[in-house]
Amino acid sequence: MNVFISGGAKNGKSSFAQRLAVNMAKEKNCPLYYVATMVPHDGEDRARIERHRDDRRGLGFKTIECGRDIDVEIRNRGDGVFLIDSVTALLSNEMFKADGTVDGEASIRISESLKALCKDMDGLIFVSDFIYADGVEYDEITDGYIRGLAIIDRALAKACDRVVEMINGIPIDYKDDRAIQEDWGIKVDKE
Amino acid sequence: MVLITGGAYQGKVDYALEKFNLSRKDIYTCSVDKVEMPEGAPIINNVENLVKACLDNGRDPLKYLAARKSRWVRSVIIVNDISCGLVPMDAEDRAYREAVGRTSMYLAQEALAVVRVFAGIGKRIK
Repeated sequence: MNVFISGGAKNGKSSFAQRLAVNMAKEKNCPLYYVATMVPHDGEDRARIERHRDDRRGLGFKTIECGRDIDVEIRNRGDGVFLIDSVTALLSNEMFKADGTVDGEASIRISESLKALCKDMDGLIFVSDFIYADGVEYDEITDGYIRGLAIIDRALAKACDRVVEMINGIPIDYKDDRAIQEDWGIKVDKE
Repeated sequence: MVLITGGAYQGKVDYALEKFNLSRKDIYTCSVDKVEMPEGAPIINNVENLVKACLDNGRDPLKYLAARKSRWVRSVIIVNDISCGLVPMDAEDRAYREAVGRTSMYLAQEALAVVRVFAGIGKRIK
């Protein structure tokens, strides 16, 4: 089973993802990996990473630090449960280059590689961020980033078996609702 | 009427086209420049733009829509969810966000079904 998780800030995405990963690894009886995608830029980032490492200690995660081409890294490990936190960081790592240029193709590339990964592997958990409902009109580059993340999110949601939105620590599963497939008996007038 | 809501770039239009077997020519896109609601468009997209146009022209968007219910009562209406950011600094932006929220609630009340689209996947929430 592959799972896509997103939601607003401080809604319990990471802790839900961790609990899910631990349970999946137990069930599959396989190694448990945490794919840390954030590349630290300063002391604040490093402190945050340390704090997250502490949180995961004792849960049995092996940490893989990998900011790009995570599909290669994951394929190399083979069998396992992989918690990928976060898709958001993956995109910024690849889209915003160190020399200040922007790679407009990054989102397509990442979504294609992750789609293929989902097809070939089992036990992937992706955490993303729901950054689409603040109604702010951003500059072109920021808007391109938001649009790019949506491309990846939608590709992953399509490819994954479970699509979860976290709200106040409560998971809402968008693929657990067969009612959406039903005919509602509502007709829309065509011109 | 079916109301489709969700954040930007989530696939609300694609969802509506697929669910109701419609094509792009069935879409009317609301304009921020013109207070206008055509007769019986199968899909009325970006209704938040109509709200903006109403506010800019001193019209009450709720009254405007309520008076023209026959024009959209058999349509799919799509609205962008813009409710989750910081309170806008600018008074006009605050009024706009509030009006979009109130309009969305009114339309959700009137709707036979309400769908929230998240990462391309729709969930019926009414």
